[in-house]
Amino acid sequence: MIQLHNVSLAYQKDATALNGISLRIEKGEFVFLTGPSGAGKTTLLRLLYGALTPTQGQVLIDGQNISRMAPSQIPFLRRSIGVVFQDFKLLPNRTVLENVAITLEVLGWGRADIGKKVMHILKQMGMESKINLTPQRLSGGEQQRVALARALVNDPKILLADEPTGNLDDANKNQILNIFKEANVRGTTVVVATHDRRLIENSHKRLVTLSKGEIVE
Amino acid sequence: MNRWKKKAAPVNQSYKRPVLVGEGFGGRLGYFVSRALINVKQNIFVNCVTIGTITLALLIISLFLLVFVNLENAADTWSERVQVTVYFDRELPTQEQAALRSSILAIPGASKVSYVSRDEALKRFKSRLRGQETLLEGVRPEILPTSFEIALKKADRNTEGIEAFVAALKRIPGIGEVQYGEEWVRRFNTFLNFIRMLGALLGGFLVIAVVFIVSNTIKLTIYARRDELEVMALVGATRFFIKAPFLIEGIIQGGAGGVLAMVLLTGLYEGFLHNAGSFVTFDPTASGLSFLPPEYIAAICLSGIALGFIGSLTSLKRFINV
Repeated sequence: MIQLHNVSLAYQKDATALNGISLRIEKGEFVFLTGPSGAGKTTLLRLLYGALTPTQGQVLIDGQNISRMAPSQIPFLRRSIGVVFQDFKLLPNRTVLENVAITLEVLGWGRADIGKKVMHILKQMGMESKINLTPQRLSGGEQQRVALARALVNDPKILLADEPTGNLDDANKNQILNIFKEANVRGTTVVVATHDRRLIENSHKRLVTLSKGEIVE
Repeated sequence: MNRWKKKAAPVNQSYKRPVLVGEGFGGRLGYFVSRALINVKQNIFVNCVTIGTITLALLIISLFLLVFVNLENAADTWSERVQVTVYFDRELPTQEQAALRSSILAIPGASKVSYVSRDEALKRFKSRLRGQETLLEGVRPEILPTSFEIALKKADRNTEGIEAFVAALKRIPGIGEVQYGEEWVRRFNTFLNFIRMLGALLGGFLVIAVVFIVSNTIKLTIYARRDELEVMALVGATRFFIKAPFLIEGIIQGGAGGVLAMVLLTGLYEGFLHNAGSFVTFDPTASGLSFLPPEYIAAICLSGIALGFIGSLTSLKRFINV
């Protein structure tokens, strides 16, 4: 479960990105965060995976206050959170297989187990024929599927996505949305920040609207 | 503990750090080394730039050291000319010679004592005046003094060492006039100190420049791979896990740079300096131009490794935000 209590964050004294946000996302829920550019969607997501610390308020994940978590504990929190971005953040020098395997290497898995698990998830994503290609040789939709495979390969409790379909056409958007839904069905809490109205309307999920750093809906 | 062996932290468990089999640097050394080697292969251009920079930097330092070591060797050879001479106005009987010789050798700092008889002195005088032997016609050995020529140990071939030695020497009964070319020794020592100071100054600047260039090159190469650091942090890699392969990569780059610099230096020395005699009529072996001693070569290779390691360590600090 994700809980935010009166969370504010200011990058500088006068530039408040979030202002008194309180939000509760239940375990296994699927939530869209929406709002215009600069509303604070990305900032909110960054708070959830410990990349930012609120200037005020508390962020709790499964009861653990990550605003007070020691920096050395943040990596262990992140092992149960998958994150995907609009620009995919894949490593250009590594193959599809290696890009996805990173998540499991970090966890200390053996090579054989990594191979099996990565192949399994890439099959689910329909990417099994491209395991030895580097990201530059993939389309945008394929790259996002690899990024999703990297985020989901260790069955995270929470999946955070920041404008995941921003660079994709409609067919790919639907494919990505379906992957989110499948993960959600398997028990993963999904939080997607987007201003893509069509994506939100097609999915019939909970919507949280942000504007100027505050929840308006 | 075994339940962590093949599984990641299972869903719905607390975020408490799981203990994995083979965790820690020792347990995962194999992974870190193989990751570092793969990284070298995958980022071959960036690695070549770093290794090239370290090689050139160390080559410049080692060329400087080569010149410095040879200057020191030359100074050592010249310092052998520093000697103390004790003159006597009579020929010393063998027994007295032996007694004095052992007394002199008992003084700390004395390394060799040789007696120059009147005949020997005249012979030397004649050889110095070669071609003008007529000047010595009628000169008999009796007008020349006999002497003990005393060579000093290397550590005592400076002004203070010699003065202390001479003071001790004069306390031996039977020792009369003592000469040691005070002015020459003083000038020679001033010259040596100047060369050493200049060497230390130039060497210091060189080392600072090399550290600056190498650390900035490494910083740039790590900056070029900041996405990798970011992704690793995103998927939950600890600071140590992210750093370890980069540090090993730094060690590989530094070691390769050190070894390459030594190979190039050997090539330059053997190919150019050794053959220089054939076209500039200068034979470095004859003139005593020597290569770096093995301990210097080892030190240069080790400093390459240290450069790579420390350069990576300081650069990583800036880019890891975990």
